[in-house]
Amino acid sequence: MSSSRTEGVQQPERSPSADVVQVTMPQMGVSVAEGTIVEWRKRPGDWVEADEPICDVTTDKVDVEIPSPATGRLERILVESGTTVPVGTPLAEIDAEARPGEAHPDERAGPRRAPQSSTGQPDGEADRSQFHSPVVRRIAEKHGIDLSRVSGTGIGGRVRKRDVLAYLESEGDGAPESPEPVLHTESPYKPEVSESPPAKAEPETAAAPPPGEGAPSSIPAEQLLGPTHREPMSPMRQAIARHMIDSRRTAAHCTTIVEVDFSRVAARRGQLKEQMRRRGVNLTYLAFVARATVEALEEHPKLNAAVEGDEIVYHEDVNLGIAVALEDGLIVPVIRRAQRLSLEGMAAAIADLAERARTGTVEPDEVHGGTFTITNPGQFGAVLATPIINQPQVAILDLEAIVKRPVVVEGPEGDSIAIRPMSYLCMSWDHRALDGAGAARFLDSVREGLEAGESRR
Amino acid sequence: MSATAAPTQTSASTTEMTYLQAISDGLRFEMARDPAVFCLGEDIGAFGGAFKVTDGFVEEFGPERCLDMPLAESAIIGVAVGAAAEGMKPVCEMQFADFISCGFDQLVNVAAKLHYRQGVAVPMVVRLPSGGGFSGGPFHSQNPEAWFLQTPGLKVVAPATAADAKGLLISAIRDPNPVCYLEHKGLYRHVKDEVPEGEHIVPLGEARIAREGTELTVIAYGSSVHLALQAAEELDEDVEVLDLRTLCPLDREAILGSVRKTSKALIAHEATRSAGVGAEVAALITEEAFEDLDAPVRRLTAPDVPIPFSPPLERAVLPQLDDMKEACGELLAY
Amino acid sequence: METSDASAVVDGRLRDAVGTHLTREDRANLFRYMAMMRASEERALTLYKQGKVPGSFYDGRGQEAISVGAAYVLAPEDRMCILHRDLGAHFVRGVTPDRYMANYMGRVGGVTEGKDGNMHFGDRRLGCVGMVSMLPDMALVASGMALAFKTRGEERVAMTFFGEGSTANGQWHEAMNFAGIHRLPIVFLLENNRFAYSTPNELEFSVDPVERAHTYGFPGVNVDGNDVEDVFDAARVAVSRARAGGGPTLIECQTMRMHGHGAHDDMRYVPQEMFEEWGRRDPIDRYAERLVARHDFSVEEVDGLRSEVAAYVEECAGKALDSPIPDPAQATAGVFAESWEPLGDGEAPWSHRGRNGGGANGASMAASEGSSA
Repeated sequence: MSSSRTEGVQQPERSPSADVVQVTMPQMGVSVAEGTIVEWRKRPGDWVEADEPICDVTTDKVDVEIPSPATGRLERILVESGTTVPVGTPLAEIDAEARPGEAHPDERAGPRRAPQSSTGQPDGEADRSQFHSPVVRRIAEKHGIDLSRVSGTGIGGRVRKRDVLAYLESEGDGAPESPEPVLHTESPYKPEVSESPPAKAEPETAAAPPPGEGAPSSIPAEQLLGPTHREPMSPMRQAIARHMIDSRRTAAHCTTIVEVDFSRVAARRGQLKEQMRRRGVNLTYLAFVARATVEALEEHPKLNAAVEGDEIVYHEDVNLGIAVALEDGLIVPVIRRAQRLSLEGMAAAIADLAERARTGTVEPDEVHGGTFTITNPGQFGAVLATPIINQPQVAILDLEAIVKRPVVVEGPEGDSIAIRPMSYLCMSWDHRALDGAGAARFLDSVREGLEAGESRR
Repeated sequence: MSATAAPTQTSASTTEMTYLQAISDGLRFEMARDPAVFCLGEDIGAFGGAFKVTDGFVEEFGPERCLDMPLAESAIIGVAVGAAAEGMKPVCEMQFADFISCGFDQLVNVAAKLHYRQGVAVPMVVRLPSGGGFSGGPFHSQNPEAWFLQTPGLKVVAPATAADAKGLLISAIRDPNPVCYLEHKGLYRHVKDEVPEGEHIVPLGEARIAREGTELTVIAYGSSVHLALQAAEELDEDVEVLDLRTLCPLDREAILGSVRKTSKALIAHEATRSAGVGAEVAALITEEAFEDLDAPVRRLTAPDVPIPFSPPLERAVLPQLDDMKEACGELLAY
Repeated sequence: METSDASAVVDGRLRDAVGTHLTREDRANLFRYMAMMRASEERALTLYKQGKVPGSFYDGRGQEAISVGAAYVLAPEDRMCILHRDLGAHFVRGVTPDRYMANYMGRVGGVTEGKDGNMHFGDRRLGCVGMVSMLPDMALVASGMALAFKTRGEERVAMTFFGEGSTANGQWHEAMNFAGIHRLPIVFLLENNRFAYSTPNELEFSVDPVERAHTYGFPGVNVDGNDVEDVFDAARVAVSRARAGGGPTLIECQTMRMHGHGAHDDMRYVPQEMFEEWGRRDPIDRYAERLVARHDFSVEEVDGLRSEVAAYVEECAGKALDSPIPDPAQATAGVFAESWEPLGDGEAPWSHRGRNGGGANGASMAASEGSSA
């Protein structure tokens, strides 16, 4: 509300459309600056005669009836009762050109108007380019269309079904640069349906025909398969798929596996767990492995590197990526400068990242800049894996399940069998950057660090 | 079920008939074919019916088969139930659809539930002259079909064309269940089309695409079908008009198929708004075709008001051509 | 005997004539059916009190003579609309007590297989169309069946039961009126048991309903509803009248409802003297006495009938209790019919049943005289 403060006699203000007459807050006394509407005697649509009381107003000096400045129909109330406004504020508008018996504009349309459209047509002025209807979203998702690239011809710039279909026809499937955050990912833990041959399989990678299937079947494949159902891949799934393929095409993948006796780690963990828990830190086996890995990387810098063209790029910091499983995919947030963290610090950082990854509160920056990745799907019970390197790193370490096994221990009296918690550390590495010996030596360092039971720091 | 039903007919020739004549024709055909079929209602015999649907029937079929009933709607419906249980095929006439309320108890508590409770089939039809537009006032203008959609055990049909009026009536008579047949009075003399002679069957539960389109589906029945077709013509837009024809059971596949194609739906009926057929169809669409929608599902109906008598008031309440055009236009532009 | 006069009343002369229409076997049957109704309802009431019956429980204690006496007259192809205090009619037509009890318990073995409860049943295969709760809707349905018989020229009769309370309802008047206009072959069986729930006669109507019959164009007859042979004979006359094309009859049976409207009703509104007076006129006990006194039955024989029925009812109770509860998947089945099937015919145990059984035709009376007890 404008707060024009006019002294003197109030004139009914005339707005540009001459037939609308305003009722304004009167000045009731020289020192009075404002008034409060007590009650409106008329409601919009009501007919009012000139000088007929139209509302009651009160000031700290006096209560007064306001006479209508004109004859006509009360169009709009601008200030509701109970409100205090400065003198001169427009309170209501009267249509002085109206004739009695003519329908008020709100009524002119007739009662049938209200029930017809459950919600009015959206305001054409408002920007609706970001609103996407269900069918538009479905089509966009199915074809990987970035809707921000589609121009909308609907009200308020809304992208309509026809717009996205037209876009599809002209641009084709999927945008080349997806705005999705880069997800550093590696191999799936469980066998995916990626076993089924992709639609456009190259001849050399096509699956060998299953035994017993010599001649092509006369029955269409779909019938032989039996009932199926389809689900569109989520954006995360599609991104993971792309990265996996890219990684395998980029690196010369090899996997080396070392067997580790975790009994010292178990003992140490038993000693330290409780006091760390009291400090709010959950001490996991993964934390031990991470610490040992970081120490080993300092001794074997070739594993904390990247291949760029003809060069090996060595990183001074160890930015350790920890893979976290999500419902339909995974994410690899990074612990920056992991070399600075103690065992406890590592455990805390891992827990924090895992928690935030699962609740979807990881910052975009936190999934970039990793130099080495550890993954720990061991809780699912598998014992060996051949992970896919998280580009542009040169190696990835996979900690599988820790399982009690009978092992041979050498003692002063000779060999005996003991039961030890054992696990395999499986590392996939890029043969472009290093060789098997280097990989093995690194793993041996990690193993030593774990079997010593005590951090060297 | 396909939405476009090819009517089964033994005769290939057609005659131009009004909607009202088609109803008489269908009734006459069935009565001649099956001696179990008989009519009962007020003033249908000697007087030929308030709207002359049964004009000449007494002469042709005798007073027992075109039975003048006392002013007793409960008796009309209740007697029909008993007769149907015993194998007759009664076709009741309510003089106005509005009067079904006087026979409501027999219809919803006896007729509708006998089979569910006792395995007793009740093959009867209740003809209900419905609809407004001629200053009939609140008791001669109603479209009460929603009451029957709420009663499990009743089937409900509402033809829009003369050909369908005949075809659906014959199907209704042959159905072993109680069928409420909504015949819109306003269409009696204003709708004319080529109606197949002889046996002409339109199966229950099948909608009809009255006009093909790709940008908007108007789902309608009865008088609203004509309004929709006219609006689509005058707007000259790519609007599809789906004539439901049967309201219970609804042709869900036709409804969903059309909406999936156009992604926009307007449901139009002359009956009042709340909890009407439109509400049911709208719920069906959002439940089953949500991801195919490019606009909210809207309804064009009369408001929740008894139908007034005075012409300007009645016109303000019953959906008019301009309302249809506006509603279509809004959805097309959305 | 033509009764076009509204004041026709069963008198002593007619009572004697009754004897010629019932054989010894018939009399034993009448007793047996009444006893079966009594025993079944007592047994079912126990089940109800044991919590095995969901919902409400209704019986017709004290009114057994009406449904048994009236239903006994019907031919197999006749039809009935039976109400909640007319269990005897179901039994006469061939429904067994186990199916009745299973219906109350909502079991698969019940007549409606769980779809409807208590007395809201009718076995369509036995020519019975079961009641709805809205009374007396079935009077119109029975009128419709009678219309079908008449239109098709069949010598079949419809019989519809209702209480005196429902004569206050518009639909009863519509039925009576319509039946009178078209002289339909229908028998309106009015059970005046003194109370409609808690409403006594004087608040239900100002004129005894039997008097209304002639205003609709046909005779009304008043009978002792606690005398099975009185009911039987009035029904016999009415049915044969209808079958011969004479039109409807209203038979008002005077009786007393000895239990509450339902088991939940404690009948506080009934004066104690009324209970005592009507208790002395128990239809089953009276008939037992008469069988011994006038029809050459021994006390042992009558007792034997009672215990035979008791054992049978107990056996049926066991069968009903063994009946399984319905599969919830069936809850949505059967809303619509796939096809129409004719109603079946009911049992018709009366020895003289037939198209002209018990009519005013002297020849048939003479024929039956020869085989009277």
